[in-house]
Amino acid sequence: MRVSKSAYPLTWRIMDALEAFAAFVWPARFGRAIPWMMLAPALLLVGLLVLGLWQIGDVSLRTLDTSTFLMSEAYTLANYQRAFTESLFAVVAWRSLAGSLIVTVVTLTLAFPYAYVMVRTSSPTIRKLLLIALFLPFFIGQVVRAYGWLIILGNQGMVNEALGLVGIAPIRLLYNYWAVLFGLVQYMLPFAVLMLAPALTAIPEELEAAAGSLGADWARTFRHIVLPLARPGLVGAGLVVMTLSLTDFAMPAILGGGSQDFIANAIYDQFFRTSDQGLGSTLALLLVAAGSMLVGLVFTLFGAGTLAMGRARR
Amino acid sequence: MMPAALKGSAIKPKLEWPTVAVSVKSVNMVYDGVHAVRSASFDLETGKFLTILGPSGSGKTTLLRLIAGFQRPTSGEIFINGAAVSAVPPHKRSIGMVFQKLALFPHMTAAENVAFPLKMRRSDARAIPARVERYLDMVRLGGYGTRRVHELSGGQQQRVAIARALVFEPDLLLLDEPLAALDRKLREEMQLEFRRIQRELGVTTINVTHDQREALVVSDEIIVMDGGQIQQKARPSETYRTPSNAFVANFIGVTNFLDAPDGERRAIRAEKIRIAPTRNGLVGADTIVEGIVADAIFEGERVVYEVRVASLGDTLLRVFDHDPSAHSQLEPGSAVYLGWTAGDVLEFKP
Ligand SMILES: Nc1ncnc2c1ncn2[C@@H]1O[C@H](COP(=O)(O)OP(=O)(O)O)[C@@H](O)[C@H]1O
Ligand SMILES: [Mg+2]
Repeated sequence: MRVSKSAYPLTWRIMDALEAFAAFVWPARFGRAIPWMMLAPALLLVGLLVLGLWQIGDVSLRTLDTSTFLMSEAYTLANYQRAFTESLFAVVAWRSLAGSLIVTVVTLTLAFPYAYVMVRTSSPTIRKLLLIALFLPFFIGQVVRAYGWLIILGNQGMVNEALGLVGIAPIRLLYNYWAVLFGLVQYMLPFAVLMLAPALTAIPEELEAAAGSLGADWARTFRHIVLPLARPGLVGAGLVVMTLSLTDFAMPAILGGGSQDFIANAIYDQFFRTSDQGLGSTLALLLVAAGSMLVGLVFTLFGAGTLAMGRARR
Repeated sequence: MMPAALKGSAIKPKLEWPTVAVSVKSVNMVYDGVHAVRSASFDLETGKFLTILGPSGSGKTTLLRLIAGFQRPTSGEIFINGAAVSAVPPHKRSIGMVFQKLALFPHMTAAENVAFPLKMRRSDARAIPARVERYLDMVRLGGYGTRRVHELSGGQQQRVAIARALVFEPDLLLLDEPLAALDRKLREEMQLEFRRIQRELGVTTINVTHDQREALVVSDEIIVMDGGQIQQKARPSETYRTPSNAFVANFIGVTNFLDAPDGERRAIRAEKIRIAPTRNGLVGADTIVEGIVADAIFEGERVVYEVRVASLGDTLLRVFDHDPSAHSQLEPGSAVYLGWTAGDVLEFKP
């Protein structure tokens, strides 16, 4: 059938041609393969990761010969024995673990009200300001931000200068545990807010109004309605903050000044200071194991369903 | 008479004192720029069922939210049982509300939802289970208490919401179009259910809807709203028979407007017009006009005719014929006569 030019515009013809081409290179019967094709990049990446872990596992079973600086040929568990017995590693592990837990609790406590106000405010201006304040730090990398804190919190820094104006002697604010945790919380806050915001958006505002009309003041509405319904968001944000803090390198290195090493710093030291790849690999594997167990624990405690996976909830 | 569901229970139907339960006095609500409620005033007697009827955007929800206390009026005052409530937060008012989207708590079972207001209002914990069970029975959901909200059908969820709003014996029940989402059969069933429960408990109720049929069926009184303004407050039959203005006449029922040259608007209901193939069929009519059938719609219990009347400026008049067997159905294109009596013509001052 002949169709006049105006009734069948050029753009449609182009689309037809493109569709014909697509059907030629990707016939419809390939359709079943599409889900697998989309999984391919992810599978590739996971595969590479497993390969890397295999390599690290292999190295972790060899010790460093301090006379030749070569890895031993024979397999041994000596590195694991050192990791578990030397008190330095126990201190570092404990410090990282406790630190990541504290950072998680503090970050979630601070992020929750922020996300809540951002989601619930009726003023577009406030929402925009909160969003900007949230995204700005993303453009400033972690290392730069840590250096920023050096400038602000240093002995001659802005805070101490301000204290000096009111007659208080300079306080050592940096190079201690709390400085590291402070830096970590400040770094993790945007991640936590970004993960909490969608979870809070998913809670209909009407539920809170309903709780109010049923006799709950805001504290009880929060406790009985908002908090339980925000649990998937809290678990997700908590997991991200905890694993990122547990494995963090820059904040302990810069704000801790070498005195507050986390596991990642200890691994770095083994690889690049003492060149003991074996022990470094051992620590790395133990970190992976600890992180996985932590995630596993969270999932068993709260269930994978809390991440809105599994059975759909209406 | 005690309804069966309540026998032996502590719930006693409230006596109908002729006291004012809710009093709204010159209430205005302005959202930045939008005048959602304009100087609304009305009184509602204790135990009455009031329906606020109006098109979408007419300010019904806003008025209800003001009464519930979720918002404070820009000006004016609301009195509940005689006390000014503007400064009282929702959780300190004794108001049960059923929301348009029900707002059931998804992480609780049906029974937990119903128990929630009792817990929040610090009822005796030992008495709660029995009471929850009683109210679930009242809405005919006995035995469904352990179901999660998403395991219940739409109608059952509706009932849970009603039980939850009533279980703490509020002074006032507010319903914000909770039936709008249901299919027609279920909606009509639930309308009667609302009415039954409201009568059983005698609780003062304000229901919001845009469904004129619902308003006529369930209410003691109807407030018609448009553009944030109350157009009329009257009993259902009064609202239908003597609408106070053209808007009300048009919104409730099917109304034909016969605009007169002096600017006064006159109208006649579709069911008040008689239709016949000959003049002789219209004895007793004060006004008789000639017309041509434009369309005839068979609706089972009645036929709806659209008739073009040349003498009225080619207006299409809609006519209900409830007795189509009296004369064979008039085909489109056939000439007919329409007649009505002067007493049935509604007149509105411009
Ligand atoms: N929170 C709000 N902010 C701004 N305008 C609103 C808000 N709620 C309602 N409105 C406006 O007020 C008017 C009345 O709304 P509403 O009370 O919801 O009407 P109805 O319930 O009759 O459909 C509408 O024009 C609506 O856009
Ligand atoms: Mg509404």
